Amino acid sequence: MKVSLNWVKEYTKVDLSIDELVEKIGVQLGAVEQVINLGERYQGIVIVKVVECKKLEGSDHLSLCRVDDGGKAKDVERGSDGFVQVVCGAPNCKQGMLVAWLPPGVTVPSSWDGDKFVLEAREIRGQKSNGMLASAKELAIGDSHEGLLELDEGKPGDDFAATYKMDDYIIDIENKMFTHRPDCFGMLGVAREIAGISHQQFRSPNWYLAKAPVQAGNGLALEVKNELPGLVPRFMAVALQGVTIGPSPVWLQTYLSRAGVRPINNVVDATNYMMLLTGQPQHAYDYDKVKAQSGETATLIVRNPHSNEKLTLLNGKEIQPRPEAIVIATDKQAIGLGGVMGGADTEVDDSTQNIILECATFDMYSIRRTSMEHGIFSDAVTRYTKGQSPFQNQAVLTKTIELLTDVAGAKVASPVIDDNHTDTKDIPEVKVAVDFVNVRLGLALDANEISDLLTNVEFENEHDGETVTVGTPFWRTDIELREDVVEEVGRLYGYDHLPLELPKRDLTPAPKDQLLELKSRVRDVLSAAGASEVLTYSFVHGNLLEKAGQDPKQAFQLNNALSPDLQYYRLSLTPSLLASIHPNVKAGYDRFVLFEIGKAHNQTQKDSDGLPTEFEMLDVVFAASSKADVTGAAFYQARKYLTDLCGTLGLPLEFRPIEAEEDYQVAKPYDHMRSAKIFVLGTDIALGMIGEYKASVARAFKLPKFTAGFGIGLAALQEALTHSAQKYVALPKYPKVTQDISLKVPSELSYRELYRFVWDAISKVRPENALPALSPVDIYQGGDKKTKNITFRLEIASYERTLTDQEVNNLLDKVAEAAKAKFGAERL
Amino acid sequence: MAYHNQQIAEVAEALKKRFGSLENKNEILRAAELKALFDQLKELPSEERAAFGKEINALRQELQQMVLGAQDKTEKLEPIDVTAPFDVNVPEGKRPQLLSSEAGSKHPLMTELERVLDIFYRMGFTAVESREIDDDYHMFTSLNFPEGHPARDDYDTFVTTEGLIAPAHTSTMQNRVLQAQKDNLEAGNPIAAVIPGRVFRNEDLDARHEHTFYQLEGVYVDKGVHAGNLIATLKTFLQEYYSKELEVKTQPFYFPFTEPSFEFAISCPFCDKKGCNICSQTGWIELLGCGMIHPAVLHEAGIDPEKYIGFAWGCGIERLVMMKYGIEDVRYFESARLDFLRQFA
Repeated sequence: MKVSLNWVKEYTKVDLSIDELVEKIGVQLGAVEQVINLGERYQGIVIVKVVECKKLEGSDHLSLCRVDDGGKAKDVERGSDGFVQVVCGAPNCKQGMLVAWLPPGVTVPSSWDGDKFVLEAREIRGQKSNGMLASAKELAIGDSHEGLLELDEGKPGDDFAATYKMDDYIIDIENKMFTHRPDCFGMLGVAREIAGISHQQFRSPNWYLAKAPVQAGNGLALEVKNELPGLVPRFMAVALQGVTIGPSPVWLQTYLSRAGVRPINNVVDATNYMMLLTGQPQHAYDYDKVKAQSGETATLIVRNPHSNEKLTLLNGKEIQPRPEAIVIATDKQAIGLGGVMGGADTEVDDSTQNIILECATFDMYSIRRTSMEHGIFSDAVTRYTKGQSPFQNQAVLTKTIELLTDVAGAKVASPVIDDNHTDTKDIPEVKVAVDFVNVRLGLALDANEISDLLTNVEFENEHDGETVTVGTPFWRTDIELREDVVEEVGRLYGYDHLPLELPKRDLTPAPKDQLLELKSRVRDVLSAAGASEVLTYSFVHGNLLEKAGQDPKQAFQLNNALSPDLQYYRLSLTPSLLASIHPNVKAGYDRFVLFEIGKAHNQTQKDSDGLPTEFEMLDVVFAASSKADVTGAAFYQARKYLTDLCGTLGLPLEFRPIEAEEDYQVAKPYDHMRSAKIFVLGTDIALGMIGEYKASVARAFKLPKFTAGFGIGLAALQEALTHSAQKYVALPKYPKVTQDISLKVPSELSYRELYRFVWDAISKVRPENALPALSPVDIYQGGDKKTKNITFRLEIASYERTLTDQEVNNLLDKVAEAAKAKFGAERL
Repeated sequence: MAYHNQQIAEVAEALKKRFGSLENKNEILRAAELKALFDQLKELPSEERAAFGKEINALRQELQQMVLGAQDKTEKLEPIDVTAPFDVNVPEGKRPQLLSSEAGSKHPLMTELERVLDIFYRMGFTAVESREIDDDYHMFTSLNFPEGHPARDDYDTFVTTEGLIAPAHTSTMQNRVLQAQKDNLEAGNPIAAVIPGRVFRNEDLDARHEHTFYQLEGVYVDKGVHAGNLIATLKTFLQEYYSKELEVKTQPFYFPFTEPSFEFAISCPFCDKKGCNICSQTGWIELLGCGMIHPAVLHEAGIDPEKYIGFAWGCGIERLVMMKYGIEDVRYFESARLDFLRQFA
């Protein structure tokens, strides 16, 4: 919202400097995006009279002018009569006209935001031209550069900026702040707020408060029917005759241009002026065009579109309005999209003589949907979507007619028709206790202070010392609750004056969130183990899922993705991590570990509340490029990371082979021949998958040969951790004996099975009251791959006596015998 | 796959037959018949060319898939004993090892988030993580956004085909957090919670805009809470975070779920208000949005707004980290580039 300070000052006194004012607005009204010192852009521009205008010899379009600047400009060459010579190319240049003169040294206002163009005195076809005479475009007031802007106020030598109030500051306040403040989309509303925050009494102009009715006229027949009172609480229209369309007086043009609106013609400018002043959009139709499109009488009907009804808008676009849209129609056809944009067929043009002026209020939600659906964003839409009050229409209409009479010669030619309006709603009154306000602001205001703050911005109110009864002014549509009054009081008082006190708390410790704690722990352990944490997008391309062997149909899909790259929620984190490997190999990393902690979703998995289950996942990949020195299968490298992580957390694991490919999406990227399911040791608590990736997956992601990883569910991990208390075993006082046992077994026998067998066998034959420990030393496989040799190391100590080597050797012999009986194992 | 063109169908059948007997499966892609079809394409009248071309391309693709499939079979790795701690025949010194901890790194956003959480823990706040997929009720309705309200426009949300929402703010968790702690509140303990999480906005990517980012939401509810408490709480947190005294200021703002609402700014901690590049020479940094929880939001969570008052805020994490380290491009965070990540411990 571009606010003209000079305009605001017509309604309220501003004593602050511009910097102080902007600061105050920022703190108490809303963020200021930009402040433009408009005055400096018009500095030095002088109003002059053209005293002579003749053809410039040797040119077919230039004129040689002499202008009277009242002797104002310094350092400029003058004739003996004191006048200044300027060459001018405008076709409308004529003797006697008042124009704006840009003397040498002055910057052309329209060039201010780009390459600044500074005028000088120079020769044109042998004649000295001092500066230039300006068009509306050069003055950055309008689009017209066909001729000089003929001025209608001031006298030669007057300062242009001062005469037309262009010595202004434009304060651009973020629209977002005013989402619920339709009144602040008008200078009047902003002026009221500025008065309020400066603790001054504001008084709306009489015409605004009095809402004087328009004196009915006659001469033009008009019918108006509002068939949608639910969506259009107010639809006022009146016919005006005797209109002469032309450019607006210069003052009107400059008001619009200061607020960033382009002048068009006197009728449109008058309605825009009133919109900028009050926030109330209006629309002018060409009466005769409406009549031609109506049956007998010029008619405006507010209704929904008929099926297949089409409409050409002012911007030239033909649309078929959405079925729920509000259209303005004659009794024959739609002629405008109510509250959004007028129609081209009834547009006011240079030959218009009679007009219909509409001053209506539309439902904000309906306007928003229509605007969004048709992609039309206009000044009217900006204002109507904030919920304009239907109670200011009368005042605005009356004042607009007054203005149209002044600037276009309009005369009222019909009664004002205000069909079917629903403004019977009582203006809400809010009763709020002084305490209620003070508790929420941490202040100790008394009823009088609260009352004064509200009175300043014209809230009618009364109080009994304890409760303030607040009447909402008709222009405010946002005050319903006591909290709304609190906001009003706090803001007007100044939030920068609130007492800064921390809430009081007792000594109860705040419990930490277990899942966040676990994530933090995992992060610490893995990063200390040389792994790098990555974060990748939650949304991926369907191709990425397919490359990993996953089924996009099971993934949640976005309707409005920015691009196909971000179309699906992830089924697991694995594909994103796999996609991150090749770029890092290419960037020169030969050996690295990536991990990500994040969420995965699957359409088939819902929680009890019906929402998709959010799977908290940890995924880790180890990759070594062909340049790295690695031995054995990558699987074991991933396993090393997993056992290290869980070991640090205090959770022993076991790895179970997979018989056939699993149907879970999480399992899809893994080659089941080289993967395992991860369980908490000795339980059926499944944590996830670990392994190498399918050849097709490795190829699709350009993975180095030596790549493996795992994915585990953090919720399951956390659950398992809560059940696994760390245990302590008393230390034996006697020395331990260490001996190895090597067993040659068939290759198919798994390490785990043999280990368990050996452990159980030891437990059966070992001395009582001893502490054994069994660990792997070596696994060797010969060339024929039929058998393998597994070597374990037994460390054992007794709590009662010193064990002998012989004793332990005998023990292992017994174990070997049992292994021979069971597996045909041979002790080496 | 069925080919409509008779000639192509015949070639397809012949080539598939031959494929089984080929030693080098790749040769099928260089078959003379296939090349002849492509040569023929050039001679065809233009109206036939498109359909014919499409079919021979489909054939070539089918053959390529067959070659790849065959490769997968031959490249199939031998099964391994996944129950073993290391592979067969690997000497002790060559067995899997962890990389040096120097190579490891925590993501800077997560490190920062943990720091922020730690401060709030010490201030007595609990934490719970936000969701990444939610419904309209939690994202909008429970937060006092009426259906069709223009304020919804400010949250350019991603929506799934079933109408679920990728939350655009962590406030999507407010209703749940308030409900979960309601009994505790009524037992006389304030609700004090922070909610970190990943949120999404339908925004085009550039150096300063991400569609995916992290936010930290905070809520505090108790009897007799006032706006000065809100400002003091945030100021205290930020002073601890930046380890220095700061000035703060609020600007009125509009959020449907708070009344009043503010934008919250601090004096630039990097230049102490003298003006620097980080604060665009203004001396101030706008950091977050906040306000007093709207009574409708409390009411929707079953908390009596007559008795209880609350405040809430939401703060982006990326900005804190970018300012701290002078990171020039927000897109690095989710780039998974080790060049970037390994700069952080």
